[in-house]
Amino acid sequence: MINRRGMFVRAIRGPILLITIGTLFVWQQANVISFARTWPSILIVLGILKLLERIASPVAYVPPPQPPAGGFTR
Amino acid sequence: MRPYRSVTGPLVLILVGVVFLLQTLSPGLRWFDLFVQYWPWLLIGWGVIGLIEVCIQFSLNHSLPANGVSGGGWLLVVLICALGFSAFEWHRPDTWWRQAGFDRSMQAFGQEHEFSVEPIQRTAGRAPHVVMENFRGDAKITGIAGELVTVAGHKTIQSMNNHDAERANTQTPVEIVSKGDRIVIRCHQDRAESRTTVTTNLDISVPKGASLEATGSKGDFDVSSLTGDVDISSENAGIRLQDLGGGAKLDTRRSDLIRCTNMRGTVDLRGHGTDVELTKIAGQVTMSGSYGGSVSFHELAKSVKVENLRTDFSVQQVPGEIRLERGSLSMNNVVGPIHLTTRTTDVTLDNFTEGLDLSADKGDIELRPGRLPLGRMNVHTGSGNIELTLPQRAGFAMKASTESGEIENDFGSGLQQRADGRGAKLEGSVGDGPDVSLVTNRGRISVRKMTGEVVNGRMALLPPVPPIPAMADKW
Repeated sequence: MINRRGMFVRAIRGPILLITIGTLFVWQQANVISFARTWPSILIVLGILKLLERIASPVAYVPPPQPPAGGFTR
Repeated sequence: MRPYRSVTGPLVLILVGVVFLLQTLSPGLRWFDLFVQYWPWLLIGWGVIGLIEVCIQFSLNHSLPANGVSGGGWLLVVLICALGFSAFEWHRPDTWWRQAGFDRSMQAFGQEHEFSVEPIQRTAGRAPHVVMENFRGDAKITGIAGELVTVAGHKTIQSMNNHDAERANTQTPVEIVSKGDRIVIRCHQDRAESRTTVTTNLDISVPKGASLEATGSKGDFDVSSLTGDVDISSENAGIRLQDLGGGAKLDTRRSDLIRCTNMRGTVDLRGHGTDVELTKIAGQVTMSGSYGGSVSFHELAKSVKVENLRTDFSVQQVPGEIRLERGSLSMNNVVGPIHLTTRTTDVTLDNFTEGLDLSADKGDIELRPGRLPLGRMNVHTGSGNIELTLPQRAGFAMKASTESGEIENDFGSGLQQRADGRGAKLEGSVGDGPDVSLVTNRGRISVRKMTGEVVNGRMALLPPVPPIPAMADKW
């Protein structure tokens, strides 16, 4: 099962991605660098977060069998 | 533990409420413009709030949300991005679709209204410095005898109705203002409202000794018969200069054509453009930037230095011509030493003197020096054939090698050829002469003898280059 630190990394994934995307668009608008050239960094950030998640909870996450969707107690 | 509820939803509600309240209180604020400018900060703000929230929950040991941003949240993010991005693109002055011409057809919904600009005159002395600022329109500037600056022409005003056009016309008078030793020609086109576009096309005559400094947003410059320097920078201009006594500095962000003919001073080109034609230039020529069309030089009396896209070269004089196009560079009758580096270009050099340093990543190279004595040659291409054609009596010390390909040799046993793996090497000397080094990583090397005789150090087959009368004294 996923542990608490793993859940923390998973929970900050959305906000961090939002900040990354926002920053890329700010740069695009300020003519620093075009989004067309910077978008792969989103993948990199996503990969790093995934990696952190794995490191934080090394045990493979087994989804609970029932119910299949949202099967994750809050 | 109490189930976690995000505060982002309520915060967004409060924000929307505040925005609408402000709008009802002060209707002057332009929310659309603010959104266009600052929408990415919405995403950043949202992200920061979410991050802080999660951190607080974590440190207080409360339960954590499965995701910082829910599925519906991401949908909203995509929506904001799409809206913001398209709104921003719409607002930008130089976006791709405007450049593609959509904008012009949008403007064509309005009508063009023509107004004439009555001639105005001002005494300016024999050698005034003429300044044009933020000019939009075509300008034809001619040097004439006398001390008068004369301006006349017509305006084209694009607007939705006659009334707007009339008003724009009165808002944008053409003036000649003298400021110390400067003569400023003003068109006040920035005073017109944003929905109307004022294009002022002017015929300007100035004293022969004048110098010119112009900044333009769009429109062509046609300058002739001045003895002072000319300095033009424009967002988008075709520029034609003719019979100028001073130097020219041209800086363009876009340009369909830059043509300079019969100039006694230096020519300095910077920026971006398409075609460039330089003919009969007595001063140095420098060019740096990206000119993607066809670049041609004829009869340049002093050194030339070019850094264009991925091709850089310098030569000392061009009595003949140089032609640079996408994928090909040819020179005929130029005075070296020539330094040339290029990425992917076929290079053809005819009748060049002095040394040659040539390095290409990819491209076929044809060299026909044509004249004796030969200069030192150092030629390298990553991938491509090299063909060197030398006069029959040429003397040189050859060192040629290809890593993959063959070598053809017309000069016989003086040069020793041997196979080298999949490639070949050719070394040796013919008579007395400079080093010639030809290297290709992949391709054939041919060393050929020219058919025809050399007379007075020149190939008889080649017509002699006529002297340039106007610049004969300079050479």
